[in-house]
Amino acid sequence: MAEEKTIITLICERAAEVDSVMNENDTLKDQPNVKVIKFPCSGMIQPLMVEAALKAGASGVVVCGCQIGDCYFREGNRMIKERLLGGRPPGLKANTDRRRVLALWLSRKQTDRFLSQTKEFVSFVSSLEDSGAKAAVPEKAPPKVEKVEKTKKAEKVEEKATEKAEATEKAESSDKDKE
Amino acid sequence: MEKTSWLNNIFLVMEDITNKVMKSKYNPFYYHGALPQFIMYILFLSGLLLFAYYVPTIDNAYNSKNLVNAYTSVDYITEQIPFGAVIRAAHRYAGDAMVIFIVLHAIRVWATDRFRQYRWVQWISGVVLFLMVMFIGQTGYYLIWDERSLLLTRMTVSALAAIPFCGEFLSHWFLNGRTISNLTLSNFLFIHIGLSFSLMFALWIHYVRMTRPVITPPPALNYALLGMVFILVYLFPLTETKMANMATQPTMSEVDVIFLWPYQLLAAVGEYPFWIIMLLLLIGLCVIPGNIYGAKPVEAAEVVNNKCVGCRLCSLDCPYQAIEMVPAPADSRFKLLATVKAQRCSGCGVCVGACAFDAIDLPNLEDAQVTARIKELVEAS
Repeated sequence: MAEEKTIITLICERAAEVDSVMNENDTLKDQPNVKVIKFPCSGMIQPLMVEAALKAGASGVVVCGCQIGDCYFREGNRMIKERLLGGRPPGLKANTDRRRVLALWLSRKQTDRFLSQTKEFVSFVSSLEDSGAKAAVPEKAPPKVEKVEKTKKAEKVEEKATEKAEATEKAESSDKDKE
Repeated sequence: MEKTSWLNNIFLVMEDITNKVMKSKYNPFYYHGALPQFIMYILFLSGLLLFAYYVPTIDNAYNSKNLVNAYTSVDYITEQIPFGAVIRAAHRYAGDAMVIFIVLHAIRVWATDRFRQYRWVQWISGVVLFLMVMFIGQTGYYLIWDERSLLLTRMTVSALAAIPFCGEFLSHWFLNGRTISNLTLSNFLFIHIGLSFSLMFALWIHYVRMTRPVITPPPALNYALLGMVFILVYLFPLTETKMANMATQPTMSEVDVIFLWPYQLLAAVGEYPFWIIMLLLLIGLCVIPGNIYGAKPVEAAEVVNNKCVGCRLCSLDCPYQAIEMVPAPADSRFKLLATVKAQRCSGCGVCVGACAFDAIDLPNLEDAQVTARIKELVEAS
């Protein structure tokens, strides 16, 4: 990959309005390295898709749903939030680099916030790569600093790394049970 | 995604402001359905306390020295029982608040287009619930047995009697006899309390198609709501009224617009036009969820039968109870198979997100397509 860090955005079509800031080829006008895929609901986003994007070589993935509590289909955004945090199966694989996943919960009016958060995320992801971390899925489990960035500070406190690790293990063990 | 309607935009702007003031977790707009439910609990509790002292008669022949009837028992609650006036006023204002919140709930559901197609059960049962709440509130006004109660009772009887074929029967049922008697008030009390408990049944229908309905607002909102009711009680204590006297012809004076607007309408237009207007309103409300305008047809999710392992995740996560697990066919390696009830499906794709085996798909956006598109976009750079 060249200088440009490709970021895949998986976004609910009812969340932050991005039509007005997008080019025709599904990229953002002022950040052409950010590619957008729209879904009827953020609940449709599979953790597999996040993994697929990272595996294919994307530097980061932005998942964007509506404000928590305001899902048009009742609870889709809550579902994908819990799946990313590992509280609800199916979750992300343990060796996924969670620093490269940004989850945003934005209402239709918060396009500006979406753009500024994405910009910040792009620079964060670039700093990761400059410091020598691998771009694709690392072979070993990522270091303990793993975190999913959130829109609100209070929510950051909730998701302590240890809790999440436990939850992920649970999710995985329940996955195994099923198979 | 088509453009948002102007009404939806109003809500989006208001919710954006409330989200900034309080976090989305405490945004009352996100609990618009749960708020009336909480108020119902306030009403049940305060109503229970009132019921302890209420006497549902218009007079008491055995105790003629000190008249004990509905009016004097309400008076006793207000004047003698500690905090009786507070409980009584809280019961009144919480009832008003319930109607207001139900209407706001309906308006938001309407504005955000969340009322039709796969949600029609919720809408129709909501209309029934609203009618029940209105009638419960009105019987509450009869129970006080002041001049207004007498007037309302007489107006109701005349309106019911005007209904063709079953009018006489209905008015006799309403009065529990041919004239206003002690039995009338026990009938009112039964309607008031019996219908209140029937709300529970109607609410079950209201929730039955929803997985994990949001029925409890966060405690902070509950306290705020309770506080608001008590502030109203403090600011506007109930005023004293006059006992009903059957010999007089009381007239409409101050009227609670929230519950008693049908009576104002009745007084203004007369019995027959009143029933026609009510009937048209009811039909209008019930027809709304039909796909009259602008509804996008839903493309129901489809299960890939040979990939489904019967893990139940999609069925558990479906927000509308649209996925049922049935026994798998005999040649399957698994016990269960997911099946989609198409008329309940909203096409949201939450089941796709729940499936780790690619075994369920939206026909217009298959997950294989999405994955391919992701690869394409990454490689295009």
